Amino acid sequence: MTELIAEIPTWSPNAAEFLTFSPELAWVGTLCLIMLAPLAIGRDARMTAGLAMVGIAVTAFFTFKVMGIVSTEGPKTGLTPNLAGGMLIADNLSLFFKVLLLAFLIGVSVLWMSVSAAKEDDAPEFFVLLIGSALGMSLMVSTHNILMMMVAIEFASLPSYAIVGFNKHKRIAAEASLKYMIFGAVSAAIMLYGASLIYGFFGTLDVTLIASNVGPVLAAGGANRLLIGLAMFCVFAGIAFKISAVPFHFWCPDAFQGAKTEVTAWLSVASKAAGLLLLMRLANVFCQNAGAEVLRGVAIVIAVVATLTCTIGNLAAYKQTSIKRMLAYSSIAHAGYMMAAAAILVDAGTVESFTAISAVLAYVVVYMLMNLGAFGVVALVESRNGEDDSITAFAGLGWKSPALAIPMLFCLVSLVGIPPFAGFITKWYLLAALGEAASGLYWALAIVIVINTLISLWYYMRVVVQMFLKESDTPAADVPMSGTLLVNVCGILLIVLLVLSNPLKERADRYSAGLFSPVVAGLAAQPDEESLARSNDPVGGEPVAKDAQGG
Amino acid sequence: MFEIGLTHYLVVATLLFVMGIYVMMTKRNAIGILIGVEMVLNGANINLVAFNRYNGMSGIDGQITSLFVIVLAAAEAALAVAICMNFYKNLNTVDVDHGDTLAG
Repeated sequence: MTELIAEIPTWSPNAAEFLTFSPELAWVGTLCLIMLAPLAIGRDARMTAGLAMVGIAVTAFFTFKVMGIVSTEGPKTGLTPNLAGGMLIADNLSLFFKVLLLAFLIGVSVLWMSVSAAKEDDAPEFFVLLIGSALGMSLMVSTHNILMMMVAIEFASLPSYAIVGFNKHKRIAAEASLKYMIFGAVSAAIMLYGASLIYGFFGTLDVTLIASNVGPVLAAGGANRLLIGLAMFCVFAGIAFKISAVPFHFWCPDAFQGAKTEVTAWLSVASKAAGLLLLMRLANVFCQNAGAEVLRGVAIVIAVVATLTCTIGNLAAYKQTSIKRMLAYSSIAHAGYMMAAAAILVDAGTVESFTAISAVLAYVVVYMLMNLGAFGVVALVESRNGEDDSITAFAGLGWKSPALAIPMLFCLVSLVGIPPFAGFITKWYLLAALGEAASGLYWALAIVIVINTLISLWYYMRVVVQMFLKESDTPAADVPMSGTLLVNVCGILLIVLLVLSNPLKERADRYSAGLFSPVVAGLAAQPDEESLARSNDPVGGEPVAKDAQGG
Repeated sequence: MFEIGLTHYLVVATLLFVMGIYVMMTKRNAIGILIGVEMVLNGANINLVAFNRYNGMSGIDGQITSLFVIVLAAAEAALAVAICMNFYKNLNTVDVDHGDTLAG
């Protein structure tokens, strides 16, 4: 054992490396500050939210600074002494997701301020849990090492369990957080066991090295084939739990219904998007390095799970009477749509695979606006109805409070994916990515998505019918100004993004093109001609040799 | 006398995994399910350490990973027990079958 330890070089990160991960460090600093703040400034909700906003602003400053570095010097890696792939990665994809998370954190905080802050005694704890889960999610998207992935998934999950049960005196909140926690703990345990088997087969937890070894190990034959497949499926199950893909979705509607609505909005977008982008990153590096024989299996597993996810999500949404539950099933269905694009990554390194990543990035941006708007209106309606989350609570809303009903209409129509809203154009990008990939499997997936869109139309329209065609004798009540403003901004942005769909697409293309291509020891990675041609970005997919060793 | 090798450790780990899965599936008590989770996690730990020791791996990645798993298990157990207590305060039981308000 001592000689093993002696092999490891002494290493400490240098200043440049700290700068690369300064957004995470700023997030950690914010967490500590908010936790300690009650000692100095008390537990006032407004002060705490202000402090959180300062932390978000500092994090955003560092994120944009790192973005500048990455766009001139190429993707960065680090925080490891001698691993090929690095533990953490700062590239366009992870930075894009950090910016998205920061914007979404601001939106969720505004919503929380307008509906919950007045009756909340535990504001510091709320923000610690919220920002803590955000930090975990941003770590999830910045790695392709299974150890880091496990830590990041737990880091994102643990605060989420607690924040779902944040209202200690509410029975359904306690039940929701227990169910969420038990599903999470079981899937995490299975994922860790799978990871331990993978470590046994390949001697590493870096997905790049695993992928380049999987062919030879399979060729060695025997029972290994089944066991490796099983171990990989166990790890996939852990990610699928975060995405709430069928059959790991049972926690999702319960947790979403029991949680506060602004927490539901947060989980429905941030946690699923983090899981999806993690899956896409892993699929991308795995498929770039593994042999063709393995890839077929990967594509089929992802395609089957995606098909089940969107179909079961949409069918189960029908019979729901609670709007939060209905939107939870709708979010399962949307995760299925986005997952379908992950199947294209089997052709990693080709134009099609970059189109797929870019389509998902554009979809995530618009999906965030749609869900923030829809859950925002639900939160506002709930707050004046005494926590009634049934669909009938929306009766007559169109005539009583058009300032809420119209953005809700925009968001719902956009969730269906029909014009004239941005949800249409991003769904079109997904379908186009599947169509361009031109293979029977992808065509089948495209058809599944189109059929599911038609199915989903009817349950979204139930809410619209309630709002505009039903009458209700309850008088219109005051709704908070800031919340109304927020949902209207979301609704308007959905139209603006349809008009500006070309800039959106160009940005998504750019962020998907400069992905970090891992350097496998002794195997110089080829710069990807096609991705270079697609983006005007000088860095493209070329990896940058890291200078951590000298630190 | 025979020497203890990789296989022996793997058998113990697999037994822990199978017992853990069985406990998770059959127990109705939330704490019982958590004990099942801990068994699976410890099975993973034995795997990691044994593979590192016997499979001729360079470095001590497996040992370090098992330390991370222990920390994760501890954090998860602390939070899980807090959530179970909150559930007990609201429903006077930790039987997961009684959590049936949310369904459909």
